[in-house]
Amino acid sequence: MTARLPLRAGPAPGAPDSTAVIETAALTKRYPAGVTALDGLTVTVGPGITGLVGSNGAGKSTFIKILLGLLPITSGRAAVLGHDSARDGEQIRMLTGYMPEHDCLPPDVTATEFVTHLGRMSGLPPTAAKERAAESLRHVGLYEERYRQIGTYSTGMKQRVKLAQALVGDPRLMLLDEPTIGLDPAGRSSMLDLISRIGAEFGISIVVSSHLLGEIEQICDHLVAIDGGRLLRSDSMTSFTEVSQVLVIEVDEGMGKLLAELAARGLRPQQDERALLVQIETDATYDAVRDAIADLGLPLNRLEQRRRHVEELFHDNENEEEARRDR
Amino acid sequence: MTADTGTAGAGHGGVIHDIGYRRYEGPRLGRAAIVRALCWHSLRSAFGIGRGAKAKIVPVITFVIMCLPAVANAVSVAQGSPRSIPYDTYIFQLRVIVMIIFIAALAPELVSRDLRSHVLPLYFSRPLRRLDYPLAKLAAFILACLAMIEIPLLFLYLGTITQAHGGSAIWHETRALIPGLLIGLMWAVLLAAIGLVLASLSGRRAYSTGTIAIFFFLTWILAGILDKVSTGQGQPFRGVGGQVATTGAQLSGLVSPFTVLDGTRQWLGGTSPGPIPPPGNYGPLYGAMLLLLLAAALTGLAVRYRKAGVA
Repeated sequence: MTARLPLRAGPAPGAPDSTAVIETAALTKRYPAGVTALDGLTVTVGPGITGLVGSNGAGKSTFIKILLGLLPITSGRAAVLGHDSARDGEQIRMLTGYMPEHDCLPPDVTATEFVTHLGRMSGLPPTAAKERAAESLRHVGLYEERYRQIGTYSTGMKQRVKLAQALVGDPRLMLLDEPTIGLDPAGRSSMLDLISRIGAEFGISIVVSSHLLGEIEQICDHLVAIDGGRLLRSDSMTSFTEVSQVLVIEVDEGMGKLLAELAARGLRPQQDERALLVQIETDATYDAVRDAIADLGLPLNRLEQRRRHVEELFHDNENEEEARRDR
Repeated sequence: MTADTGTAGAGHGGVIHDIGYRRYEGPRLGRAAIVRALCWHSLRSAFGIGRGAKAKIVPVITFVIMCLPAVANAVSVAQGSPRSIPYDTYIFQLRVIVMIIFIAALAPELVSRDLRSHVLPLYFSRPLRRLDYPLAKLAAFILACLAMIEIPLLFLYLGTITQAHGGSAIWHETRALIPGLLIGLMWAVLLAAIGLVLASLSGRRAYSTGTIAIFFFLTWILAGILDKVSTGQGQPFRGVGGQVATTGAQLSGLVSPFTVLDGTRQWLGGTSPGPIPPPGNYGPLYGAMLLLLLAAALTGLAVRYRKAGVA
């Protein structure tokens, strides 16, 4: 298993320059039945890997279909790679690879035939479609099995075929709708590795949707959270996970003794399950903690500045929203 | 992961360990070319080309059966007899039965498979417009039906002219063939459109096949029954002997696509006796019915695919 890639500072080489990949303004989609799927969504997505998170029914799939120009917009505007999605859907779809959430593979053809055919449907000439199908299947790790019928594949392999068909047309942007759905933990993490590789090394911008934030946060540069068709928050991953001014101390034993010792040294330690949390006031805080542990001779397990967890931020945000509504 | 090992070969004069991702710099074809590619792909799959041997059974057998009369004609012409099969009707009953089997087996192959496995979103997320998909499928299926109907006619023609003496005899045959080919085109367009719209109602191939077979057979039998009932038992009317058909018999053909096709043929001047009495003054009604059936089938297809696949 390859190591997780560090967050990238700028756009990948070959990625479309700093211009926005996706730009929407007050995007609203109301279905004839009266359901509002998107409600005044204004968001800008740059190059790199962007996570699109929201609970089921938050409007993620509707958003993706509007970006592809497959659903008419009720009001507002959406642009993908500089093309208006209501007017230039064909151009957008020429430059975009889409991986649907649901099963979409015929069981009785081989992966090679299937991806080659969809390469043709993406506008590749016959020979190029064949070559790129083989290459896409190699990139997703299905080179050996590519002449087998898709019906004989495991769920994880099928997801890879879905990814390969999105990749075959050499898109500038890939829209992946819940790519990890139905996978076991191992399959999930290798799918995420693959997506992260495509985003980082292939220079293709990616929007990956998920209802599980914890799952995709590790591979994203940027997160867009929507709820009830409205933007909850859009920010870079780094700002989501800034280090906080809290020190986490974990010892194998003697937690009670340490708690007392730290309090005696003028800190205000708090117990949090199996760790102690200490507010960092000055650099002296580090020294005090170090000395306390050394004096007590405790087996130190972990000592780090706590990172804020992304989920917490969303919850904070939701709580604020609720509070505002209540008022 | 195997994805890291470069297996796509070395470049010019040097070892490349991992070629990594290569951008596609070549030409990209437009929408028209994509629709053509889809049409060609569908036409191949209608005859089971690129599929296993099992997929070829029905198209091959139906095609061979359809050609048998033309072969028999070639043999009898070679022995000195005149051509015995008309170009404008061929062997009507045989054509009806073979086409029902062909369409019931293969229209689902073209559209039900994609519905069944939910492949449509993958098509619609490519540079196609909504109606390009059914259009390409329809064009492919019309071509497939055309091949089934016209190639035996061409065999019939070739088998006959090999024994024809002189340019005028050949010209005479050719003049007889051309209306036959045009009527074959009429058949192919109408039957393909009806077959596809019925097939697109269900993703289950068995249901689609059943629907198509039942629709074509029932209406065909019904037309026969109505003809019999209106003509009256013991007075079969077959366009000879100056007997005038009853109004009911003249209208009975309107219930089946096959008899509508034949009524239109007779109205347009087809001389060979068909399965229904000559429509007489009701001829235009058959023409209108043909257009109506075609319009209904095309509208059905458009409606079916306007929404399918996005949700």
